[in-house]
Amino acid sequence: MKLTNGFDISASALTAQRLRMDVISSNIANAETTRASYVNGEFQPYKRKMVVLEPMKEGSFASMLQNEMGEASKGVKVSRIQEDRTPDKLVYNPSHPDADKNGYVKMPNVDVTKEMVDMISASRSYEANVTALNATKTMFVKALEIGK
Amino acid sequence: MNVLNGADFSRLVGAMRAAEARQQVISDNISNADTPHFKRSELVFEELLNDQLNGQKNHDLAGIKTQKMHMDIGRNDQIPIMQLVTDEKSVMNNNGNNVDPDREMALLAKNQLRYNSYIQQINHEIKMMRTAIDGRG
Repeated sequence: MKLTNGFDISASALTAQRLRMDVISSNIANAETTRASYVNGEFQPYKRKMVVLEPMKEGSFASMLQNEMGEASKGVKVSRIQEDRTPDKLVYNPSHPDADKNGYVKMPNVDVTKEMVDMISASRSYEANVTALNATKTMFVKALEIGK
Repeated sequence: MNVLNGADFSRLVGAMRAAEARQQVISDNISNADTPHFKRSELVFEELLNDQLNGQKNHDLAGIKTQKMHMDIGRNDQIPIMQLVTDEKSVMNNNGNNVDPDREMALLAKNQLRYNSYIQQINHEIKMMRTAIDGRG
């Protein structure tokens, strides 16, 4: 059925935004984590993670043809979760167990302010998609009333 | 006999289909509001129907019908086919995305109201036909 695709589109975005929210939570939770991985005998701090979104285009021939003919995509998907490559923050704290010989500690490249802004953006996007989903649902219910 | 196959009814059905498809397009725009390099799309139907009803699209080559049995050439007297238009030009965000969530929400509300009015109109049409069939005053 055609109308139910509207649900799938909004649902894909809800999934994506929820995952984005999870990643942001992980970033905030690990804002102080200095031992995320152990590389070459040295602890590496947590790296900030980002969600990469891309329009969902299904792989079947029919949908490829539709895409070529200018049909809209069918929702959104998370293509991958990428690490932020900005350098780690160096903080002078000689009493820290992971401090190097000069007394500097490599802290994660997480900026909590940035994460909060992203969080608001994700939560607003989620709300917008819930509204769209509800609108589709109302339309569907309304269509069932035809001829009553 | 055509009980519910009149031109007005088929136009309404076409408009309803367009509204359903537009709902999907708007949902897609909203769901991709954070996707880099995504360009929003829009579904055009009412404008095309309006053009057709006003006969503004007569620049198309069309065959003249001298008999009832003749086929349509060039011109389509039926409902127009909806078209998907992607807005490639404008830029809204610095990630190449041009979805304005506020605008999409407004379009969503507009589309929903339109859809409701189509349904109301169809219901009315059916009711009138029912009255005619029952022969009540």
